[in-house]
Amino acid sequence: METVPLIQLVDASKIYHLESGDFIALDHVSLEIGENDFVAIMGPSGSGKSTMMNQLGILDVPTTGQLLIDGQDVAKMSNLERTHLRRDAIGYIFQKFYLIPLLSAYENVEYPLILKYKKRDTTGRAAAMLDAVGIDQDMGAHRPNQLSGGQQQRVAIARALVNDPKILLCDEPTGNLDRKTGLQIMDILVDLHHKGKTVIIVTHDPKIAEYAKRIITLEDGRVVGS
Amino acid sequence: MRDIFFDLSVRSVRLNFLRSLLASIGIVIGVVAISSMGMLGTNMQLSVKDQLSSNVNTVILTSDVVKVSSTAGGVAAQNGIDKSELNDIKSSAGQNDVVPIHRSSTQFTVGSTNGRGSIYGLDPNDIQKFLTVDQGTNIKGGNDALVGATLASNLNIGVGSTLKIGQNCATIVRPIVRVAGILQARGIASDNVNADNGIIVSDQWYTDHFGNKDVYDQVNVILQDVDTINQTEANIDRKVNRNTNVIRISDASSRLGTITSTLGTITTFIMAIGGISLVVAAVSIFNVMMMSVKERVQEIGILLSIGTEKGEVRRMFLYEALILGLIGALVGGLMSFIIGYTVVQAMIGSTAYFFRPESLIYIPYGMIIGVVVCVVSGLYPAWMASNMDPIDALRSE
Repeated sequence: METVPLIQLVDASKIYHLESGDFIALDHVSLEIGENDFVAIMGPSGSGKSTMMNQLGILDVPTTGQLLIDGQDVAKMSNLERTHLRRDAIGYIFQKFYLIPLLSAYENVEYPLILKYKKRDTTGRAAAMLDAVGIDQDMGAHRPNQLSGGQQQRVAIARALVNDPKILLCDEPTGNLDRKTGLQIMDILVDLHHKGKTVIIVTHDPKIAEYAKRIITLEDGRVVGS
Repeated sequence: MRDIFFDLSVRSVRLNFLRSLLASIGIVIGVVAISSMGMLGTNMQLSVKDQLSSNVNTVILTSDVVKVSSTAGGVAAQNGIDKSELNDIKSSAGQNDVVPIHRSSTQFTVGSTNGRGSIYGLDPNDIQKFLTVDQGTNIKGGNDALVGATLASNLNIGVGSTLKIGQNCATIVRPIVRVAGILQARGIASDNVNADNGIIVSDQWYTDHFGNKDVYDQVNVILQDVDTINQTEANIDRKVNRNTNVIRISDASSRLGTITSTLGTITTFIMAIGGISLVVAAVSIFNVMMMSVKERVQEIGILLSIGTEKGEVRRMFLYEALILGLIGALVGGLMSFIIGYTVVQAMIGSTAYFFRPESLIYIPYGMIIGVVVCVVSGLYPAWMASNMDPIDALRSE
């Protein structure tokens, strides 16, 4: 039986209709990413990396073509179904961490569990996840603005993993960190890949891309190397 | 354990405490305005209703059937209610007091001064059911009489004075009554007993001198509850007028109804003026909520991108509006109690009706309106937040 790729872009384009004319951010892109893949998406500024990231993260849908996650066409899903797919199947790690400022580190990690199960976490999963990325209980009580960049990114990784998603989408995950902390974060991501996660990293740093098994290069919205 | 979206809302309110407080003050003012004005209007209505009820809680029964009787002044024709009709009235009036009244106009003399006025014959036990003796005592002896306040004042009549009743005529010896008490002034009485300018004697004395024993000029039914007036009138009408329409039944409730209705309109009007402050408060809450949404665009982007449903984002902002509303309503409710009490005391001069349920109900009314106004003001900002594009929201700084 043929294995369905975890993520599949089929002749997908994203066109923004601007006053100055149409801007093609993704131009007839087709690619497949399988389970337990480790992919780096690279390219210069304006090459379509962010647009690609938004498509793969189901934050947006292609103007033409298809995006299939686990064989399901996301364009045919309702808004609520896409929201649930984002919540359950994808973990996001952003360059700017994007933790919720009003919640503590622990609550930030607990939050996706609350979204999924509609109740506070009583299983200890959120605390265990924080512990796994090296954030202890005391640190977990702090608000994001009381943590260092590295600590915030660890919390963001814990938040991304807490619902056990198949896909980890990382947008310049080391971009706001010093080299040493960045390497620590990459070690965590490599470890997660070894544990079976599909890791997709968007980066412009070749040294970070070296961690990936496969590098997809974009230029002017087209895949020029894979 | 509390809803995390409620927690987020509470924390947002705390984070912008001063701004939230100022917005809530608008609601406080609105709630106080509506509640206080409502309470003031209701207290005015209750006060006026009670004042008028002393006159209008009476059903007046008279007869159109002409009866001829001999009086101290000669032979007179007058309308009357007989004993059988009185018994019918009593049996259909329920628990209410039934007061049969003899009434006539007479000349009298105090010292050397002649006067003319109404004379009423009443059972002494009925007198204090609707009249108040201000000085002296009620009628005790057969020749005792009570005199109205105006008459006593005009003719300088005091307790112990004597009055000669009947037309001043050198050939007739007129009966004399002794003034046992002076009645309290009652103003214009709509129960047809204008005692201020009248003389009250016992029914026995009256019929001894004016005749008409067991025939009454008027029967008053004094109601315990003015709201039962229509029902009581209908009961009496069914009983006494079952064959022919011999008893005329009247009251002053329609006048009370008009006055109460007018005061109700005034109350609604002044509450509407108070409501304007709530409109201002609603604009303020709307503004605060829009600011909250604008300041938290990126946070909304984060929430939406990691799988928060639109409804959950909406709920978070509606909670925030609800918290502002609840704070405003609670403080407003408390202040309404204090300010309402002060306003009622200052404007009406009495807080006798302030603690009545129909007065205090305006506090929860005002509070509910305050909360609803807040939540309604938060609807559009909440809708706007939930419908943001997560990509654009994440990009905003």
